[in-house]
Amino acid sequence: MTPMLELDGIESGYGETRVLGGVNATVDEGEVVALVGRNGVGKTTTLRTILGSVEPWAGTVTYRGEDITDLGDVETVQRGIGLVPEERRIFPGLTVTENLELASYGGSETENRRDLDWVFDTFENLDERRENRGSDLSGGEQQMLAIARALVSGADLLMLDEPTEGLAPMIVDRVMEVIEDVRDAGITVLLVEQNVRVALDLADRAYVLAHGEIVHEATPEELRADEETVERYLGVSFAD
Amino acid sequence: MVTGGTLLTQLLNGLSVGMVYVLLAAGLSIIFGVMDVINFAHGEFYALGAYLAVGIAAALSGVTGGFWIALVAAPLIVGVIGGLTERVTIRPLYGRNPLYHILLTFGLVLVIADGIEIIWGTQPKNFAPPALLSGPITIAGFQYSLYNYFVIAVGALIAAGTWLALTETRVGIIIRGGSQDRGMVRALGIDIDRYYTLVFAFGCVLAAFAGIVLGAKQEVALGMGNAIIIPAFVVVVLGGLGSFRGAVVGGLGIGIVQTLTQTYVPALTGVIVYLLMVGILLVKPQGLFGNPEWQNHGGEEGDLLTGGGGGILDTTTRRYLAAALVGVLALVPLGIGVTYSSYIPNSLVLNVLVWALFALSLDFVMGYAGLVSLGHVLFYGVGAYATVMMAMYVTPVFWVGLLAGVALALAVAWFVGYLSIRVSGVYFAMITLGFAQLAYNLVTKFDITGGSDGLYTGYDATYGLGIGEVGQVSLLGDIQLFYYVVLALVVGSYLVARQIMRAPFGSVLQAIRESEDRAEFLGYDTVEYKRRAFMVSGGLAGLAGGLATINSFGVGPSFLFWLKSGEVIVMTLLGGMGTLYGPMLGAGAFLGLKEILLTFGESTPGLLGEVLSQWQGILGLIFVVFVIYVPEGLVSLPETLQARFGAGGGGGGESATDATDAEVSD
Amino acid sequence: MAILETHDLTKRFDELVAVDRVNLSVEAGEFRSVIGPNGAGKTTLFNTITGALRASEGEVVFEGEDVTALPSYERVRRGIGRSFQITNVFGGLTALENVRLAAQSIPSREMSVGSQLFRDKNRFDDVTAHAQRVLEDVGLGEHAETKASTLAYGDQRRLEIGLVLATDPEVVLLDEPTAGMGVEETESTMALVDDVLAEQTLLLIEHDIDLVMDVSDKITVLNRGSVVRTGTPEEVASDEEVQAAYLGGGHA
Repeated sequence: MTPMLELDGIESGYGETRVLGGVNATVDEGEVVALVGRNGVGKTTTLRTILGSVEPWAGTVTYRGEDITDLGDVETVQRGIGLVPEERRIFPGLTVTENLELASYGGSETENRRDLDWVFDTFENLDERRENRGSDLSGGEQQMLAIARALVSGADLLMLDEPTEGLAPMIVDRVMEVIEDVRDAGITVLLVEQNVRVALDLADRAYVLAHGEIVHEATPEELRADEETVERYLGVSFAD
Repeated sequence: MVTGGTLLTQLLNGLSVGMVYVLLAAGLSIIFGVMDVINFAHGEFYALGAYLAVGIAAALSGVTGGFWIALVAAPLIVGVIGGLTERVTIRPLYGRNPLYHILLTFGLVLVIADGIEIIWGTQPKNFAPPALLSGPITIAGFQYSLYNYFVIAVGALIAAGTWLALTETRVGIIIRGGSQDRGMVRALGIDIDRYYTLVFAFGCVLAAFAGIVLGAKQEVALGMGNAIIIPAFVVVVLGGLGSFRGAVVGGLGIGIVQTLTQTYVPALTGVIVYLLMVGILLVKPQGLFGNPEWQNHGGEEGDLLTGGGGGILDTTTRRYLAAALVGVLALVPLGIGVTYSSYIPNSLVLNVLVWALFALSLDFVMGYAGLVSLGHVLFYGVGAYATVMMAMYVTPVFWVGLLAGVALALAVAWFVGYLSIRVSGVYFAMITLGFAQLAYNLVTKFDITGGSDGLYTGYDATYGLGIGEVGQVSLLGDIQLFYYVVLALVVGSYLVARQIMRAPFGSVLQAIRESEDRAEFLGYDTVEYKRRAFMVSGGLAGLAGGLATINSFGVGPSFLFWLKSGEVIVMTLLGGMGTLYGPMLGAGAFLGLKEILLTFGESTPGLLGEVLSQWQGILGLIFVVFVIYVPEGLVSLPETLQARFGAGGGGGGESATDATDAEVSD
Repeated sequence: MAILETHDLTKRFDELVAVDRVNLSVEAGEFRSVIGPNGAGKTTLFNTITGALRASEGEVVFEGEDVTALPSYERVRRGIGRSFQITNVFGGLTALENVRLAAQSIPSREMSVGSQLFRDKNRFDDVTAHAQRVLEDVGLGEHAETKASTLAYGDQRRLEIGLVLATDPEVVLLDEPTAGMGVEETESTMALVDDVLAEQTLLLIEHDIDLVMDVSDKITVLNRGSVVRTGTPEEVASDEEVQAAYLGGGHA
């Protein structure tokens, strides 16, 4: 089976600074794939390169058999790849409804495309805050809205960048549940997380990124058992 | 005595003026919010609307409803012109620092203004509203102008319609989202770029409409765009850049405040608006309804591009060229009576020298500390006024006046810098503009500053040596001592500025330009450094202003007119900022070109001559081309040419600009 | 004697308490590491100590002086230096000029207005010599005239440390100095820190316990904004609460 998304030798960076030095990775339909690694190893750059807001220096990005390397962000999203960006980036001056409406004007007409009614049925807290401005939402509510927004724009492949960053532990649990629901609905997820525990709990498979290259690919179980890799590249110890 | 009736009249007058501001500010604000473009040409689209309406109404004279047809057709035509303008000129600049838009749209101001003059001539046009709307009308015993009611009603209708379009339609929501976070709109798969042309065109339609309504109330005349654009900016900044609500509240508020002030506190007319703006920005830097968050995701903002620093010319070559240039300038007066009249050195070259100094002063803060001052004319004007007033009221010794001018400019720069340097980017630019406009309006109010006529004097007891009048001390024939004094002061100022940039103080400024954060964590009080740089810059500008008064035999409000601030920014960028000498060459190129165009224009008969005489428009076109293709300025041309034509390039074309560039000094 | 202390230092962002009543006491000459899982508040603590952020409550005391209200540049002048997690050097200037600017900072306060404004910056022999020494120390002597933006990434990190060193700090705060580095680079950077900053008191923010085990005198473990434990590396490593902080996460 050809993978849904395939990165082949992606090199990328900003200006003269090289961030990615040849990233190879695949994501299969229906999977949750985590991309983990320490600060500054190039996780966000990988997502931005897939999205097309950063142009790769070398390598190809293939999505459902189509070479999308040279596509800009707008065209990429129109093919069914959605992004929940770091810090969520809710439109602060638009209401919750307007944030969602705006998303519904873009994206792609995929089977996974959700409408506003579905969102309000699924996310009760958003339903209650329909007419509130984005800037008035709490961090957790903003995160829900950011995910809902990507679903409304019809993402088949949802890329989440640090969805639990800066959230209180209880809210982290809620966000994890939402991501699980998203997966159960048949949407493929590519998750970037610094919180390794969150990432491994959710993922079917994980890539470990270090200094711009994939240094390890494993299932969560394998990673948990592989103390050396985890300590070396993620700076976390699972040992008792 | 304030009666209810007159108060109501004044309020309605204020509302009708305010509606015009609302229409202008709404367009400006949306354009800025969505595209980050500070559109100085907005006032010209407003004027263009009014003139087109005059033209259409005239063509349809006799046809019933000519006014109404013009009222609809002219804005639509302006919208199309605006859309084309966006496509051709503004589109290539997206992603660059907003400063480049200022320069570009400033060029467009010159082009459109001159276009209007060529087509419609210099005489003001009368554009009367139809009989249906003329005369007063009495409602509930209160008599008031029907046309003003019409303006208020139609303005409110359009504002409400715009509001509905922004909140209730698909395009409106996309545009509002885009004004808050463009990148995120793209990440939702919406091509926001496609909407830019629409937004710009729509803004132009609103502006044109405003021009027609107000034109029919007052008159349609040249300069109407220049007169309205600054108050319109005040409204936008005061209300909060990118905020529609801010544009409405700010527009109506300013309209009413202005009208009431005229009637009840005439002393504050023209000043109150700028006082309000400066005050509000100092308390609330984002304006009344500004979204403090919109700037956070504006991370796409490009850098200011500084000149290449001479690039392929080595230091020794540049030093020789600089010495040669100064030598040539020193010899220029010797040609009087031989190849040209005394006009060339004693007026033209002197003027170039003074502006070169002014441009140098701007580069000192803009090119080195990254402070974009849109009101730099303030220091130039203050220096000029102080110099003249010292001579008139205290002592005629020129030196003392000049010193007083520099000192006062320094003090004013300290004051403005103290209040506003902590405000960043566009808001800093606007506050400086506000202060400059404040000064412009203040000097017209007082007898001591000569009111709107200005002050005229000679400086007796030249240079304090009692040999005669400044500007009249001849060395030989028409060769003036003054010419050499100015030359020495300008060259000296450049050397001093260059030395400062090589000293510890200047090195910190360059560090601040690279990364202010890092400089602060090396232990530098970066705000203080910027304030001091601003003072040095203000002092130099004050010196330029003081020297300029000799040529003009005095000073007038035009020394503080905002267009001069725009011109000096143009010169700085044209030459290549961040190099000190680039902007000085830019001043030479700007004024030299202007002179050439004027001379050819006068001697060429027919339409071509007329077009050439519109030097501003042609200069405007040149800037537009420059901003798009040579953003690093003239000093980067050798490199650019070499890159384009290979190692042997550049030698082929000894064009005017090339020749100037070859004189690039160290 | 403690050179740097915090008393109930607290930083709130709206509902989130990022740093919650943190008490630190760092001895002169100590190598202290602050570790903790992501989101523990390490960087916020760092920013509150250096003055990039204003504390919501509590105080920062440096050499007996309350510096809580001082702007960051004043803290630098008193001897609190910091490095940046993301390399932040003056890209358009040469490596030497970068370090020279740092070396010039403290002496510039003693300079007369005249020399500040007009004397050639390279004619302050002490400053230049100091800058060159620092550049040699961080191993960039050969790259003095190279534009910082064209240096290799590892060299930029070295320059970053050189910038801090050149301001002659008493205490140096390092924010994940090896972020984004490969294994070898990480090791050489830690060796560099150990070498050139041996005389300074160090406060190192780090994600990775192992990296700091060997070099630290004491380790403070932070979780959810509060101090879990402070102790020697051995004490910390065997502490149950610390294990829980790292393993506890939010979900399990």
